[in-house]
Amino acid sequence: MWSFGLPALLLAAALIATPRTVAAQDAQPGTRAAAIEQDQAAKVPSLKPYQANAGERWAQKAQDILVGGGVSWHPFFESAYSGGGFTLGAGYMHYVGPYNSLDMRGSYTFRGYKRAEVEFMAPRLFKRRGSLSVLGGWREATEVGFYGLGTGTVKEDQTSYGFERPYASALLTVRPTRRFLMLRGGLEWTRWAQEPADGGQFPSVETVYTPATLPGLNATVSYLHTQGTVGFEYRTSPGYSRRGGFAGITGHDFTDQDGDFGFRQVDYEVIQHIPILREAWVVSLRALVSTTFEKDGQEIPFFMHPSLGGGSNLRGFSSWRFRDRHSMLLQGEWRIMVNRFFDTAVFYDTGKVGDHVSDLDLTEMKHDVGFGVRFHSPFATPLRVDIAKSREGLHFVFSSSAVF
Amino acid sequence: MNTRHLLSRARRATDPAQAARRRGAGLVVVLATALLAGTASTQRPQFYPDDPISREPESQDASKAQSYQRPDMYEMLYNLFVTSEYKPSGTRARNVNTVDEVPDSSWFTNRIGAVAVTPDQITRGPIVGQPPDPSKWVLIREKTSGVHPGFTARDAKGETFFLEFDPPYYPQGATAAVAIATKIFWALGYNQVESYLTTFDPKLATIEPTATLRRPSGARTPFSQDDVNAILEGVAKNPDGTYRVIAGRLLPGKVLGEFRYEGTRPDDPNDLVPHEHRRELRGLRVFGAWTNLTDLKAANTIDTVITENGRTRVKHYLQDVGSTFGMCNELHEWDLSWEHFIQGDTTRKRLLSFGFALSPWQTVPYEEYPSVGKFEGDVFDPRKWRPQTPTIAYMELRDDDAFWAARRVAAFSDELIRAAVHTGQFSDPVAEKHLADVLIKRRDKIKSIYLTAINPIVDPRLDAKGRLTFANAAFDAGVASGTATYRASWSRFDNATGMTQPIAETQSQTTTIEPPAALPTGAGSFVAVDILVDHAAHAAWRLPLRTHFRREGDGWKLVGLERVPDGRPAGANEKTSKR
Repeated sequence: MWSFGLPALLLAAALIATPRTVAAQDAQPGTRAAAIEQDQAAKVPSLKPYQANAGERWAQKAQDILVGGGVSWHPFFESAYSGGGFTLGAGYMHYVGPYNSLDMRGSYTFRGYKRAEVEFMAPRLFKRRGSLSVLGGWREATEVGFYGLGTGTVKEDQTSYGFERPYASALLTVRPTRRFLMLRGGLEWTRWAQEPADGGQFPSVETVYTPATLPGLNATVSYLHTQGTVGFEYRTSPGYSRRGGFAGITGHDFTDQDGDFGFRQVDYEVIQHIPILREAWVVSLRALVSTTFEKDGQEIPFFMHPSLGGGSNLRGFSSWRFRDRHSMLLQGEWRIMVNRFFDTAVFYDTGKVGDHVSDLDLTEMKHDVGFGVRFHSPFATPLRVDIAKSREGLHFVFSSSAVF
Repeated sequence: MNTRHLLSRARRATDPAQAARRRGAGLVVVLATALLAGTASTQRPQFYPDDPISREPESQDASKAQSYQRPDMYEMLYNLFVTSEYKPSGTRARNVNTVDEVPDSSWFTNRIGAVAVTPDQITRGPIVGQPPDPSKWVLIREKTSGVHPGFTARDAKGETFFLEFDPPYYPQGATAAVAIATKIFWALGYNQVESYLTTFDPKLATIEPTATLRRPSGARTPFSQDDVNAILEGVAKNPDGTYRVIAGRLLPGKVLGEFRYEGTRPDDPNDLVPHEHRRELRGLRVFGAWTNLTDLKAANTIDTVITENGRTRVKHYLQDVGSTFGMCNELHEWDLSWEHFIQGDTTRKRLLSFGFALSPWQTVPYEEYPSVGKFEGDVFDPRKWRPQTPTIAYMELRDDDAFWAARRVAAFSDELIRAAVHTGQFSDPVAEKHLADVLIKRRDKIKSIYLTAINPIVDPRLDAKGRLTFANAAFDAGVASGTATYRASWSRFDNATGMTQPIAETQSQTTTIEPPAALPTGAGSFVAVDILVDHAAHAAWRLPLRTHFRREGDGWKLVGLERVPDGRPAGANEKTSKR
């Protein structure tokens, strides 16, 4: 019982020693009201304004950035190309109008992938029905995986390649009815310079293939890329949603200025989120089919083929694991709301690639299963960690965006 | 026993760590106080001649109080991760007077439960001025508080109002919630903003040339017609092209920003009681549960400096009570009112069970109306109700605070509730009836839980001959029945020393108990009577209610009442959620 120690004993001694002093200083009030008023008067000498503590000061800065604008430096975790490994980067955003901004950013990955770009964003065009992105930049990847064409390739056949790519593009998105209907059109100039791999444990692609066996090998291709999308967007947000969905078709035209590697591509995508038990569970489904068509007398370079494998599609396989002219991906997630800002998910991915559209049937599909955790806001998923298991082993995914 | 009510000097550390540090010292203070018991000159008496006071004095000039607004983000994170771990101190509310009631103050005015409130009065609620003239609106800036969109605007008479619209998924709902809740919280005793249901016709609105809007860039640029359109496109529209709005009148005085649910204002000399120990702020847990006021954050409160009768003081408002009934931030917030935004126990449960351990909100049936939202009274349990984030005052609610609050809720008759709900001006009478029915159901749940949780004796009186009469609030409210035996322990009481001298015990099967023979009769003498209730179904009623009476003239005046001793944490309330 004496554990309160010396300070408490000193306090007791002080209390015993001071009654006369207290009595001398405080005239005894005669009423309750007077007693309270006496206490109020005693507070006057110590009045001071509220002082923000350190936590409040930091929170105020963060809130000012998130709500009131003024953000300048920010982290940037998008790599130059999928498969680059852990990515670090930063950006500097500067507003050039009440809503329009200029963002200069760059990233570097553990495998040496580099990305530097500048983006102009105008998010409120046509009376808030449209947005425009104008982007210019340069990327370099040093050891992108290539396993051959088709679903039947084996992991042990992995080679790798590098590329360097400057690009400039404009992408205009319009929602004529503000909701549901989404139209997007874009124009891009880019030059893909495929190069030998730089480092890594796998042979460089040109040591295994020749330009005759692998179209586009060692090629430098300048594309004028146009694209158009018609979509129906009824999710709450592409970055995070527990209900609604998306259905869209995107057509691409890649015109090679030298006339060797021009092709067209059509992507069909359907996403549906099915809430269960008041969104405590969500079954999320996605189907994505990509088909390509060579232009007359031209070929599709191997590095432009649709592919599967990586953190946003077949998560149990390495990035770019399967490539061919056409691809099909089916994904299902059972998402569990843990709390307002945290979900877990059990998922299943399956898909295949093929040389012909008719190959995209449900036979010889590649599969993986996995478990993931996601930290999210109502509109975005800033951190997603998935672990996926396939016949080719375990793969971990760290991402700053939703899988779909 | 010398109960030092809040209105005494005793103050406690509000910070949990600080409280822990003081725990040891507190013991010594008790010892030292005992040693000093004979030194009456340094002690204040337990009861003063003016006890019980009916108004908290505010004697000092508060004109130097300064505005400060804590960041919302800080408050949310602090409450979710720190406040949720707070261990209630069990401290008796410190702003109650000596008969356990909350005196009037700049925070609170005794209305329902203390005086009769008529349907006409609740229909008017806090409104003292004239309604806005909507024949012209001049938009002067954006609306800076609340989740639903709106403007700050001047009406045709030049008065400033804050206009708030209905979201498209709750037509009439958000505006009705404000209209009704301001009436209810006014009747409960809180300072409320004068709010009026009116219309906004875009054709009759202009933008003040100097009006600006803060943009994502951080810059303020002129408020444009497109800004107006952006808001109007996202709100519910009347068939005639006008918009239904709730218009809140600009508060008088200098706005200081929010009040906090803990500590005191360091710049207000009259603010002596740590806010977590103010009963009316603790009671918001019960009132909030009843009305489903889920957004209890400090940012929805406001302090102003006003000058009345030549004295400048700080006045405290519940500024935004619109997150009531079924109104949510968005349509699919199913867990709202069932869980804090982040709650440890439910997080763990869902994480480990993959969501198979269902929470009540996943299955509770709602009878939904677009103008009401998710609001029900069948599964509702006030002990399990949760605001978006907890506050320290919310955590400090004790059984006697809940009992006090429940008596006020119980004082709302069906007629009064229907009158309040009618002020929501619903176009659908079925929705209006549903909302009132749910409020009645929830009121009855609150009565049955909190009025029976502790000794329910109220209104004790001694007549001139010393006969003790009282009422049983649980019996009177119809939430308990059966046979009860009332036992009274009588003592002489020395007001100077706080010492008691037992006289005798008497008992009765009714709410009238005869006094013992040796009751003091001298003017100014005191008697203490501890009253307990033996009831087979309610063991908690055996905790005695301690009363003190003072001989005045030919009769006795109640000067002291303590329902639950200091330091006894809540028992009736479910243990507060742990992270």
